Amino acid sequence: MDAFFASVEQRDNPELRGKPVAVGGSRERGVVAAASYEARRYGVHSALASKIAAQRCPHLLFVKPRFEVYKAVSGQIREIFYTYTDLVEPLSLDEAYLDVTENKIGMPSASIIAKEIKARILAETGLTASAGVSFNKFLAKIASDMNKPDGFTLVTPDKAAELVAGLSIEKFHGIGKVTAAKMQSMGILTGADLRERTEEELVRNFGKAGRYYYHIARAQDNREVQPHRLRKSVGSERTFDVDLTEETDMLERLQFLAAEVAGDLERLQATAKTVTVKIKYFDFTLNTRSKTYLSEFSSADAIYTIARDLLRLPQLPQYPVRLLGITASSLLYQHDKLQGYQLTLAF
Amino acid sequence: MKFIVSSSALLKQLSSINGVVTNNPVVPILENFLFEISNSTLTITASDLETSMITELPVEAHEDGRIAAPARILLETLKNLPDQPVTFTIDEETYTIEISSANGRYKLSGENATDFPRVPVVKGGKAIEVPSNILARAINKTIFAVSSDELRPAMTGIFVQLRPDNVTFVATDGHRLLRYRRTDISTDQEVSLIIPRKAFTLLKSTLPSEATAVRMEFNQSNAFFSFDNIRMVCRLIDERYPDYENVIPVQNPNKLVIDRLDLLSSVRRISIYSNKTTHQIRLKLNGSELQVSAEDLDFSNEASERLTCQYEGEDMEIGFNARFLTEMLNNLDSDEITFELSTPNRAGLLTPMANEDSESVLMLVMPVMLNNYV
Repeated sequence: MDAFFASVEQRDNPELRGKPVAVGGSRERGVVAAASYEARRYGVHSALASKIAAQRCPHLLFVKPRFEVYKAVSGQIREIFYTYTDLVEPLSLDEAYLDVTENKIGMPSASIIAKEIKARILAETGLTASAGVSFNKFLAKIASDMNKPDGFTLVTPDKAAELVAGLSIEKFHGIGKVTAAKMQSMGILTGADLRERTEEELVRNFGKAGRYYYHIARAQDNREVQPHRLRKSVGSERTFDVDLTEETDMLERLQFLAAEVAGDLERLQATAKTVTVKIKYFDFTLNTRSKTYLSEFSSADAIYTIARDLLRLPQLPQYPVRLLGITASSLLYQHDKLQGYQLTLAF
Repeated sequence: MKFIVSSSALLKQLSSINGVVTNNPVVPILENFLFEISNSTLTITASDLETSMITELPVEAHEDGRIAAPARILLETLKNLPDQPVTFTIDEETYTIEISSANGRYKLSGENATDFPRVPVVKGGKAIEVPSNILARAINKTIFAVSSDELRPAMTGIFVQLRPDNVTFVATDGHRLLRYRRTDISTDQEVSLIIPRKAFTLLKSTLPSEATAVRMEFNQSNAFFSFDNIRMVCRLIDERYPDYENVIPVQNPNKLVIDRLDLLSSVRRISIYSNKTTHQIRLKLNGSELQVSAEDLDFSNEASERLTCQYEGEDMEIGFNARFLTEMLNNLDSDEITFELSTPNRAGLLTPMANEDSESVLMLVMPVMLNNYV
């Protein structure tokens, strides 16, 4: 989706249309969650501090985010996707990979499907989207970013190598700031430079990601569209109406959160090895305490016991607590236990 | 209070019990040794509340008294003094300790001895005597498999079973299990207890190499060890030990006999090429040949070796954590070992070909699931 949150706000409030809009807090410590295309011309982008955004664009209009609305629109879009294929891998609220090799409408052309989806999104939500069509995930992602807004880009196999070769390294999806800087220091500035390196050299420098880089430089990417991407952690948190100061109150909330986390684990058929407790104090300072165990656990009791100990040690929160959260991570899925899994004695 | 003692004699005693003293004790007084003089005998105690060690030595003293002396600074001082008689002068009002040597004098502040926690005494417990070399061997053969998983406290200690016909030591971390049994020691009453890892680690490093009788006594909550002039008291782990006998396979039909050092060195080489998180290696048995191999798909590393062995059973392929195998093979003494296997998802049983007299060693290890078994 193009400038998703900002576009939703402009759709719902005619006064914002054609004007620079930033979704996010305008307060001293706020950041921009999304910027409309009008605002982007002033150098306003997401994750920019609101203060700086206001300096760059003095007539910038700040709008409070309405996540419920965005979620609802996101749901509408996904429903459209599902009428074409069940192989939908969401990347965020407004972005997803679709594998339409085999699709529900028996349409052989992915381009026609993409155009149809764009038209339906516009008709049903009043918003524009950009689509990238290609023969693997890496290229489809790059294509979708190429002609925003309201874009459509098709990358065919005969054009792929040329496109990748000309791409600067920081534009590669999957190469972040740190890796890009390291590559630049090695003299890798573009896809063409990357392609000159051997697989061994890339693996030596970047570990197993090096193998991925080697292949994407050749426009190869065999990753499947995963409709059920496995979550790496499950968590639950609550901000309280009144800050908590008593241990018994905090423990009561932890018990509740532990039950929620245990419920999520059960639904995912997973066990965890790590528990993290998040504590936000009255002044918004944040503290996390975490512990990893050798054995797996999934019950609410176990999670609560660990969270309770984390809350108590090294000492109970010394200031009023505004928010408590529990996250379980280092997840092991039932499915994982088939490969390389250390079996346990059945006591 | 005043006493004179040989600096090296005192250092030797302090060093033997110093392992108990932790850097960050629950209560600060535990950073001290407790010194108590009675009838020209100096008794020194170190404790972390769970485990306490006590030693004594003769000193030249004319009066009785007590003081808590800071462990670290005292040890450092004695380590750096040439051997000589040193005089300790203690002011029991201000808890000041003054050490005078031929080199000079050192003043340090102690603490009130009455603040030092009381060490429990075992009265009317069950007792047994074990030669120190056998106890050390039993600890060495099992302690490396003790779990550090706080979620299963029972497994963080060594399970000791005293029976009329044998004494058994068991350790497990849930993935492997070690059982060391002696038939030349026994008691008339059956007792089972879980001794924490720290206590046995300390004991192991303190036990004299020459055979000395170690007296072990137990009551409901504590174990008590004494030998030479050293005593140790430790709190038992008050948990139910897992029913380990139940998981020892009665009959594993596939039996591999192989030279221990051949297998050990092969596993060590191959493990260099294994996945860095699972340490998974494969054992493939085919006729009288054992193939040991590993691969790390993330880095395109792989290695494989062939060893000759005696094998009775079906051809099979099974995965293990190389670290576990290395540690276990390292802790066996015999030239040849037997590895009895069942299926790729059930425990393997590792035993020495020849047990020493009155001793039996049994090691159990759970496999790692190989990718090709679904």
